[in-house]
Amino acid sequence: MPEQIGRDAAAQIAQAALDLPGADAVEVLLYHEWGGLTRFANSSIHQSTSKEDTSVRIRAVREGRTGVAESNDLSEAGVREAARNAFDMAAVAVPDPLFPGLAPAATPESKDGYDEPTADVSPQGRAEAVAALVGEVGQGFRAAGAVETEAAEVALANTEGQFCYSTFTRASASTVVSGGRGGTGTAETAAPAFGSVDPAGVGRRAYAKARDSQDPADVAPGVYEVILEPLAVSTLVDFLAYIALNGRAIAEQRSALSGREGERVATEMVSLVDDPLSGESIGLPFDFEGTPKRALGMLEGGVFVTGVHDRRSAKQAGAVSTGHALPAPNPNGPFPLNMRLEPGTSTMDDMIGAVGHGLLVTRFHYSNVVQPMETILTGMTRDGTWLIENGRIAGPVKNLRFTQSILQALSGVEMVGRDLESVGEFTAGGTRVPALKISRFNFSGASDH
Amino acid sequence: MLEVAQHALDAARGAGAQYADARFGADDTESMAVKNQEMEGVTRVTSSGLGVRALVDGYWGFAASARTDPHDVERTAHLAVAIARAASRLPMDPVRLSPLEPVTATWSTHVEEDPFAVPLSEKVALLMDASGRMQAVKGVTFGEASLDIWRRRTAFASTDGAAIEQTIVHCGGGIEATAVADGEMQQRSHPNSFRGNMRAAGYEHVRSLALADHAERVATQAVELLSAPDCPSMTTTLVLDPSQVALQVHESVGHPVELDRVLGMEEAYAGTSFLTIGDRGSLRYGSPLITIVADATVPGGLGTFGFDDEGVPAQRVPVITGGIFQNFISSRETAPVLGADARSTGAMRADGWHHLPLIRMTNINLEPREGTLEEIIGDTKDGVFMETNVSWSIDDKRVNFQFGCEAAWRVRDGRLAELYRNPNYTGITTEFWGSCDAVGGPEAWGMWGTPNCGKGQPGQGAHVGHGAAPARFRNVQVGVR
Repeated sequence: MPEQIGRDAAAQIAQAALDLPGADAVEVLLYHEWGGLTRFANSSIHQSTSKEDTSVRIRAVREGRTGVAESNDLSEAGVREAARNAFDMAAVAVPDPLFPGLAPAATPESKDGYDEPTADVSPQGRAEAVAALVGEVGQGFRAAGAVETEAAEVALANTEGQFCYSTFTRASASTVVSGGRGGTGTAETAAPAFGSVDPAGVGRRAYAKARDSQDPADVAPGVYEVILEPLAVSTLVDFLAYIALNGRAIAEQRSALSGREGERVATEMVSLVDDPLSGESIGLPFDFEGTPKRALGMLEGGVFVTGVHDRRSAKQAGAVSTGHALPAPNPNGPFPLNMRLEPGTSTMDDMIGAVGHGLLVTRFHYSNVVQPMETILTGMTRDGTWLIENGRIAGPVKNLRFTQSILQALSGVEMVGRDLESVGEFTAGGTRVPALKISRFNFSGASDH
Repeated sequence: MLEVAQHALDAARGAGAQYADARFGADDTESMAVKNQEMEGVTRVTSSGLGVRALVDGYWGFAASARTDPHDVERTAHLAVAIARAASRLPMDPVRLSPLEPVTATWSTHVEEDPFAVPLSEKVALLMDASGRMQAVKGVTFGEASLDIWRRRTAFASTDGAAIEQTIVHCGGGIEATAVADGEMQQRSHPNSFRGNMRAAGYEHVRSLALADHAERVATQAVELLSAPDCPSMTTTLVLDPSQVALQVHESVGHPVELDRVLGMEEAYAGTSFLTIGDRGSLRYGSPLITIVADATVPGGLGTFGFDDEGVPAQRVPVITGGIFQNFISSRETAPVLGADARSTGAMRADGWHHLPLIRMTNINLEPREGTLEEIIGDTKDGVFMETNVSWSIDDKRVNFQFGCEAAWRVRDGRLAELYRNPNYTGITTEFWGSCDAVGGPEAWGMWGTPNCGKGQPGQGAHVGHGAAPARFRNVQVGVR
């Protein structure tokens, strides 16, 4: 395991930039990450990697103008040069009337998101996890995927007197199992600690799906009742955050949720919170401007409460930062990295039993925004889709293309699963969601497999 | 830089590697964006470090670190070897590399005007001017302009004896006007969406884009789209502008012909391919008008270089000729699958020093035929013309796709008629290319950059290029709901 920089040394490195002559304000984000990813395909390890990197990202402010520079040279001279670069960039910028100033000093909640053994997993340790996963795959099938362990230490310092330092770890296992007569299945999991990841369980679940999805039949596109498993739900939730819960988009009237605070936008079973401090959450207790994080309810009982803010979008909206800044500069605006769609009480059997004629979808693939103002996405099903008839699985079907509004789907939620999974389209396992039963979901096309 | 790479090779060999290569890389980027004449960001990033790839008993290991003093270089090399040894936990056919004559060489992008040397103030002034001109159009909500400049210096060495130094420079820019009203949002861009068009060139490319000259046009069209009807749902003749043809090539030709996808090596993330090894020389991929090459030698492409990240020289490889599929793009590891004499097509590229190389597109180019866009439209009795991508999606075997564009016009009797908003189209890869009955000529052909191509675990982004001309397709489903 690489030697950590540590809180005191991080503060010292930052100081070299905070002392930048002539600047009105300076912010320093120091990021040190290391870890390994053991990738496998055809049930063998084919691409296995390890990386250690550092970066120091400096935002310099002069007369309301900001410039940003980043370097991975953490020597005092390297940091000073990066700071001067940021200062030079600021010189040519125009003043930003919405620049809110840097974050004031505030102490984040303590968070125990760092697991020493996870930070020190060896290549052999990851290879053993891959072997356990692959060992669950039956004859005639093959597994592809990755087992990853990573660790980071992050410090944020600014000339307002804010200094935060924290460490975190993340471990994940994911796979696609395929084979037999066109069978394919997938499973994945992520957690702050490697010891909480069950690679054999991931292999077992994916293999069962692959085994049970052989000989898929053609199915006609159309509007179906659906059960979306957690992986598929994470696509809807993460895209909703990206295009609609972003406080900047809301303030600029570019969001489907602009001006709709207090309005029902989903059934009352739908509650969405960003909860960065919970034990299952991966990451930091402060955002990349140094604002302490806390739990934030975004949808409560189907009612839209609030979007997320960084300091700039908060100023735009006349609100306060909710602690969702990404590293500067970030023209895309804030993003929630630790969302949880609150669980319900239904088992998967309950939900399947409640479907008359519908589809069970494992996951979506290569989804993209069609119309942001209507939260319409398109994408494909993948790795296990089944037809449900009269409360029973009737058989596997070939993949379908969906073209569907997220908010309309959430307005059709009839049942919510009781079990959460850590998955995520954009959050590397940071989104925790249950399965959902939805009354109407539009499939606009079909593929041949 | 080469000394650092050579030191890593010595350490890897000493630790037991039968083959190793090392890349010392230093990346510099500069980016800036203006929105409504306010700075959205002006950023300069530098990053350097070493990546070492080791082959031990037929298994790969890769390690990378930003720390490059001699002791750390040895530690990184030893870690790569240890990772390779750990990979043998599961059985695999040992990796066998296709032959390669090692070279000692240097190569650089042809740059007429160093984009990093152009004063920051001049670049910002260009963006402010373009942004202001868009804002001046009544009804425009946002006028955005951006520039991106990128330079990668790499020193590559291998235990085969290669020693290669390369400097690659990319730059580009774009403008985007957005109009928002009554719950509707529309945008128009120039020369392309998602930050414009990037090329392997100097600042002369940015000047040639004439961003400010197009500001009023795109802003006016964005406003007009707000009140335009939605593109109707129908099966019709579809004419695409070159930038959209470029992305169509990217998604439905470039990715499926990556040999690692065919062999299942990307199955868990990006997916596989509908193509099989036996399809070479026989599968009808498109109409006889469709000839596509993978050309890393063409000037200006984001996939243009002297050598790939295995030290394989840049090549021009036929991919589809007269509609018949010919070749995959490959690496030294995968090429032997195609035959004992098969060589890498030189497509291994890494997203910087801290990533291992993967098979990536170089410049996947649709070769020109004849005619201008105006002539193709003039030869179309009834159909839809779509311009500038805004959305893309394709399945895991690259069969079923759906694309959205910023704007469309109905074509009636060879002329552009009413404007449509929210246009999209869908299709099946080989049926779609098979329906192509017009491809524009050299005068309508150009290089388009795709600087955001994602692949691999951990995720890597790649800069890839596409030569494309306008093209026409028959019996296409548009207006997908």
